[in-house]
Amino acid sequence: MSRVAAAFWNPIVAKEYRSRMRTWRSPLVMMIYILLVAGLGYAVFSVIAYSIGFGGAGNYGQALFTYLVLFQLVLLTFITPALTAGAISGERERQTIDLLFVTRIPPFSIIWGKALASMSFVVLLLVLSVPIFSLVFLFGGIEVDQVIYAFLVTIVFALTLGLIGIAFSVLLRRSLAATVASYVAAFVLLFGSLGFGLLFPTDVDPKSKKAPTPPALVYVSPIIPLFTIANNGWPFTTYGIRYPNNDIQFQQGGATVCKPMPNGGMACSSTGGGAPVSVSSSVTFQQTTGNTIPSGLFEGWEPWQATIVMQLAICLVALLVSGFFLPPVRRFRLRRAPAIASTG
Amino acid sequence: MITVENLTKIYGKRTALDHVSFEVPEGEIFGFVGPNGAGKTTTLRILAALLEPTGGRASIGGADVAKQPDLVHSRIGYMPDFFGVYDQLTVGEYLDFYAACYRQGKQRRGKVVNELLVLVGLAERRDQLVDTLSRGLKQRLCLARALVHDPVVLLLDEPASGLDPRARVEMREILKELRVMGKTIIISSHILPELTELCTMIGIIDHGRMRATGPVHDVIRQLSADRRLRITVVGDKEAAVAILKPMPAVHQVDIANGTIEATFEGDESTAADILQALTAGGIKVSAFSQVDGGLEEAFMRATSEEVG
Repeated sequence: MSRVAAAFWNPIVAKEYRSRMRTWRSPLVMMIYILLVAGLGYAVFSVIAYSIGFGGAGNYGQALFTYLVLFQLVLLTFITPALTAGAISGERERQTIDLLFVTRIPPFSIIWGKALASMSFVVLLLVLSVPIFSLVFLFGGIEVDQVIYAFLVTIVFALTLGLIGIAFSVLLRRSLAATVASYVAAFVLLFGSLGFGLLFPTDVDPKSKKAPTPPALVYVSPIIPLFTIANNGWPFTTYGIRYPNNDIQFQQGGATVCKPMPNGGMACSSTGGGAPVSVSSSVTFQQTTGNTIPSGLFEGWEPWQATIVMQLAICLVALLVSGFFLPPVRRFRLRRAPAIASTG
Repeated sequence: MITVENLTKIYGKRTALDHVSFEVPEGEIFGFVGPNGAGKTTTLRILAALLEPTGGRASIGGADVAKQPDLVHSRIGYMPDFFGVYDQLTVGEYLDFYAACYRQGKQRRGKVVNELLVLVGLAERRDQLVDTLSRGLKQRLCLARALVHDPVVLLLDEPASGLDPRARVEMREILKELRVMGKTIIISSHILPELTELCTMIGIIDHGRMRATGPVHDVIRQLSADRRLRITVVGDKEAAVAILKPMPAVHQVDIANGTIEATFEGDESTAADILQALTAGGIKVSAFSQVDGGLEEAFMRATSEEVG
């Protein structure tokens, strides 16, 4: 075995594979997972196939893909914390962790071995779902690279959840507490970051030539990136953005609301019964190319790139926290050990 | 081989170890005796580099447990008092896993696993699932696990606890074999008789303090300031008791099962003086012998003296 392979492959991975696949639980989880994804695929297909005026087959494909990708994401949000939150705390509860600590396996390899083993299971689930996703190509409207990006985002998000689960497993010592904390963290990452966009939206700068975007933290959640991948475009125009009051011009009996479009220009519409108005101060935003984020921290990036970078940063933090707190005898200290009084 | 100097461990307000010091030379079997909660497990966990001491030093073959945990881990085989086993693994896979954790090559692992299974008598159970083994067999498997990297030092925390008498004898036979192999061993126990036969050295710990340490016989002698006599007399026992009781060296006199038991302080000549006094008093002594209190007695004495 080469050195590189040896660094990734350690006895813990092999052992975890053995014990995981020898139980009835794993095939059961796989079966339920496939049934759920397939069931949702069938339901979405049934609904859109009979809805009138939905457009061509390409729209079927896109809608099906969007629903499948997001449903898969939510399913993995439920599954992944359960796979890893007991990784270290379970060893503590079973009293096997000391037996690992006295071997020559470095603590970091213990973490990495556990993470790799559970991530392999997630990848296995994703591979199992590929045949269902391939149905999308029957309708078209989705390119292979979109599928690859969507799966990449999903895997990286699962990895983040997995490493967060392990970090809590190291910190909290009890599997139950670690599981609860991991689920809370998982759903905060998935939906909480979207809520952040609603609570603290970006204020539109009228002087800026660039189209406004939601705050960068919103991209922590893979939901918007998956939407943009699946729909090949930015689906929201107002989410996470606060427009200055002077864009709303009150008229008799109604108002005209003008909104900058993400890809440039200004769209005005009248509300209420007022007469159409001409807009006195028109703002023209710079055109952006493709699906890239027009402004802000991740200007010029595709949303999926932003989410992957932020997820990997969270992974790194989780790994460092686990690596620091796992060893029983620490090499580095946060504070000096207290001095002991000398007694007879 | 093993040096422990002023080892102290404080958990919050509780002092688990209070300046514990002892030394175990190479090839010795050190019996670490004390009641539950005396600090045996804490000491062994510090020696296994699994716990940081609050103060003091401990080293194994010159490697400091706090500074060179990796070196310490490569030298010791540790068997904790409570341990779990992974389910869904067979006996052979279990040992192979730990051998791999000690970075042993595949071929060597196969050989080591075979040898160890023979040593602990689990060769026929190689393909049995670990969690279906009985407690005694699990304990033997755990001992085999502690040996996969051929360590020079073995730290065994209560290896015989919870075993039935037969399994205990078998465990003792395995330990004797390890002694022959030249390993330095620390065995902790609160059950004493099994240690007297096996150990060359002994350390008695209570409430985090070492009460006595050294070769087995020294410790017994050190602790047995009071010696016991068993005297059988023909005729009137009360007369003999009447002679014994006023003697300053004699502490306590009892009549049990037709014999007189007396404890006294002193050496061989004191015992001879007592016999002389009895015969001079006209008592017909038919048997007069000193009873060896043994380790149990020494232990009870050491651990009951002071509570705090």
